[in-house]
Amino acid sequence: MRITPYRSAFVTGARTASAEPIEFALRPLFLVVILMVYESLWGVVIEGAGGIVASYDYRAIIWYVVAAQAAVIGIIPRQIEEIGDDIGGGTIAVEMLRPVSVVLFRIAAGLGDALVRSGSAFVIGAAFVTVTVGPPPSATAVLLALPAMALAVIANMVSQYAFGGAAFWIEDAKGAWFLYQKLIFIVGGMLIPLEFFPGAFETLAHYLPFWTMAYVPGRLMAGHFEPWLIVIQLAWIAVLFPLATLIFRSGERRMQVVGG
Amino acid sequence: MRIVLASMRTAFLEAWTNRRSFWLQVTMMMANDLVWIAFWVLLFNKVGDVRGWDARRIVLLYAVLTTAAGLALGLLANSRRIGRMAVEGELDPVLTLPVRPLVYLLTKRVDTSLLGDLIFGPVLFFTLAGPTVERTAIYIAGSLASAAVLVAFLVLLGALTLLIGGKGEQSDLGFQAVLIFSSYPLDIFGGATKFMLYTAIPAAFVTGLPVRLVDEFHAGTFALLLGGAAFISLLAAMSFKLGLRRYSSGALWTRA
Amino acid sequence: MAVIEARQLSKSFPGRGRKAAPVEAVRDVTFSIDAGERIAYIGPNGAGKSTSIKMLTGILHPSAGAATVLGYVPWTERRHLAQRIGTLFGQRSQLWFQLTPRQAYRLLGDIYGLTRAEAASRVDELGLLLEATDLFDRQVKGLSLGQRMRCELAASLLHSPEVLFLDEPTIGLDLVAKQRFREMIVRLNEEKGTTVFLTSHDVADIEHVARRVIVINHGHVIYDDRVSTMRRSILSHKLLEVRFDESPGVLDIAAVEILKHSGLGYKLIVDTTVRSIKDVLDELLDRFVVGDISVEDPPLEDVIGNIYESPER
Repeated sequence: MRITPYRSAFVTGARTASAEPIEFALRPLFLVVILMVYESLWGVVIEGAGGIVASYDYRAIIWYVVAAQAAVIGIIPRQIEEIGDDIGGGTIAVEMLRPVSVVLFRIAAGLGDALVRSGSAFVIGAAFVTVTVGPPPSATAVLLALPAMALAVIANMVSQYAFGGAAFWIEDAKGAWFLYQKLIFIVGGMLIPLEFFPGAFETLAHYLPFWTMAYVPGRLMAGHFEPWLIVIQLAWIAVLFPLATLIFRSGERRMQVVGG
Repeated sequence: MRIVLASMRTAFLEAWTNRRSFWLQVTMMMANDLVWIAFWVLLFNKVGDVRGWDARRIVLLYAVLTTAAGLALGLLANSRRIGRMAVEGELDPVLTLPVRPLVYLLTKRVDTSLLGDLIFGPVLFFTLAGPTVERTAIYIAGSLASAAVLVAFLVLLGALTLLIGGKGEQSDLGFQAVLIFSSYPLDIFGGATKFMLYTAIPAAFVTGLPVRLVDEFHAGTFALLLGGAAFISLLAAMSFKLGLRRYSSGALWTRA
Repeated sequence: MAVIEARQLSKSFPGRGRKAAPVEAVRDVTFSIDAGERIAYIGPNGAGKSTSIKMLTGILHPSAGAATVLGYVPWTERRHLAQRIGTLFGQRSQLWFQLTPRQAYRLLGDIYGLTRAEAASRVDELGLLLEATDLFDRQVKGLSLGQRMRCELAASLLHSPEVLFLDEPTIGLDLVAKQRFREMIVRLNEEKGTTVFLTSHDVADIEHVARRVIVINHGHVIYDDRVSTMRRSILSHKLLEVRFDESPGVLDIAAVEILKHSGLGYKLIVDTTVRSIKDVLDELLDRFVVGDISVEDPPLEDVIGNIYESPER
C-alpha cells in the first residue's frame, strides 16, 4: 500500500485546522468558558461532599474535564452527520474515482484536522487550569494521558466512520448520528466521570467503545496511573478501524452495483 | 402588529414545508435537553444536593431555559445572526421595506430545531415542576422576560458588529457563553463571575432570577428582572438604530 | 419634475485595518432625474454604482452631500420612501426559498399595507404583465434564475412604486432571459410611467433599456447624456477590416488610422466627420490589391471603455 497519499491527506487536514485563524482561535476560548463553569460547579460539589467524590478531589476533576473535553472538541460536532450526507449526496461516489482508499484517506485528513484542534484546545485549557487550579496532580500520569488523548481522538474518528458507514444502507438516518454525540457526552464520560454512575450503568459503559474517547484521557490526566486503559483504547481501535474499512469497502461495492 | 403576525406566519410556512425534517429536528433537540438533565440526575445521585439545588430545581431551570431559548432563538431565529447578516449585506432587502427593520428582521425566520425547545420547556414545567397557578404565572412571566433578555443581548452583540466591525464572531461566542452559563445554577458561581453574570453576560436574568422567583416570589427580585430586561432591550434597540447609520451593506468586505 | 436629485453625494467607508485610510466609494455625485426617465447608471466594478443606489434607497447614510427621492431624504425618511419606490437587487432575494412567490407576495402585501383583495388583483395584473402567472405557485427553489428574477420583479412592483431601482438585475441571466427581462422593464416604463434607475455593467442593458446614461468611475460621474447622443459620437467613426492580396507598403490615406495589422490583414478606423466612408473605400480599391473588406460600427463597449479610461475630471 502506498502511504504517501494518506500522509499528505493528514498534513492537509492539519493545515485546514488553522486555515480560518479567527475561528481557530475562538474554539479554544469556548473551552475556557466551559472550564470557568466547571471550576465553579465542581468547586461547590466537591466542597459540599467533603473534599473528595468518587476518588476525585477538586484539582483532579478539573484536569479530568480539560482532557476529556479537549479530546472530544477536536472533531467537528457535525462530522458523523456529514459522513452520512457525503454518502447519500454522492460525494463519496466521486471520491471513489481516486486511486486511494476512500475511508483511509478521509480518516487521515480528519485526524490531521482533529489532532491539531484537540492539541491546541488542550494547551490553552491546560494553561488556564494551571493558573486557576494548579498543575496536574501527577506528572507520570500526564505522560500516559497525552498519548491517551491522541488515541481517544483516533478511536472517536474511526468509530464515527464505522457508525456513519451505515448510511450506505440506511437512507436519511440523521437523527441516529445525533445520538452518537450524546452517547459520548454521558456514557463516554465527557460530562461526568463514569465513577459517578450507579453500579450497573457504570459496568454497561465499560462494555461500550465510547469511554475510550473521553473518559480514558480524563481519568489518566486526573492522576491515576492506569496503563491498562491505554490497552483498552488500542483494543477498540483494533476492532473499529478494520470494521470501518470493511463497512466502507462493502458499501462502495454496493454503491457500484445499485447506484448511489 | 399585523406585519409581525404576517411575517411570522410566513416564517412558519417556510419551516413547515419540510415537515419530516421539522419533526426530526424537534425530537433531536428534546433528546439533547434530556441528556443534560441526565447529567444532573447522575450528579445528584452521587452527591445529594448542590447548594440547595436538586433534580426538581434543575428541571425547573431547564423548563425556563428551553422555553426562553425556544422563544428567542426558535421563534426569533435571526436574533443570533444580526452581526453576520450585517457583515454580509443581508440587511439590504429589509431596509428597502417600509417597516421597522429590527422587528421585521427578528420575525422573519424561525429555527425549527429550537422550536423543539419551545415544546419541551412547557412540557417539562407542567409535568415535573409542580405547576400551581401561582408558579405557572411566574414561570410564564419569567420566561418571557428571560427571552427578552436573550434577544436583546444577541441584538446588542449584533449591533456591536455594526459599530466596531468584525465578522460577527463575537456574537457566536457571546451566544454560546450566555447559554452555557444559563444552563447552570446561579448559586454555584461566586465573586467576579457572579458579577459578570449580572452584567456582561446576563445569564442571571435568563435563568437565575426567573427560577428563584418561581420557587419563592419576591417583589424586589421581580422588579430587578423586569427592570433588567427593559434596560437591556432599550439599550439593544438604541444600539441597533445607531449601528444602522454605520451599516455598510457588506461594502467593507467586497471592496479591495 | 425631478424625482431624484443628488447633490455632491459622497460616501466613504472605513478602510480595512486600523490605520488604513478611508475608502472613498462615491465622491461628489450630482445629477437630477425627471419622472418617467429610464436611466442606466453604469461603471466598472467597484466604481460606486451600488453605493450610490443604496444611498438613494436609504440603506446607506452618506458621509456628505444631499439627495432627495420623491421629495424625501432617503436615509432619514426611509420608511415613507420605501412605500413609494421599488427595489430589486440582482444578488439578493426578496422571496422565500422554500415557499411559492404567491405566499411571499401575501406577506409583502401586508407590509405595504395593501388589503388582501388589492394584493390579489395586483398579483394577477403583474402575472399578466410579466408573463409569470404560472410561476407564482411554484416553490422558489425550483425556479430557474430567469423565472425567479421575473418573480422578484413582481415583488418589487407589488405596491405600484413610482420609481424602480434595479441594481445589476440581469446579472447571471442567459441571453434570452436577459432580453425578456429588459423588455418587461421598458414595457413597465411605457405603460405605467414608472421611472427606472438601473445599474449595470452590461452594455446591452443600456442599448435596450435606457434613454439616458450616467457613467460613474472612481466614484465620480464622468459622463451624463442621452443614449442617442452617445450613439452619435460612435457613428463619427467606422471600423474597416481589410485583407490585401499584396503588401500595401505604406498606407497613407487621409482620415484613416491603422489600429493594428498582422501580415496582410489590417484593422483601420475612419473618421467619417472628415471624409465619407465611400471615398475611403474608393481610394483603397483604386490604389491597392484588396482581397476582402468589411465595414463595421465600433462596439458601444469600446466607446464606454474610452470614457472609463479618460482622465478623472
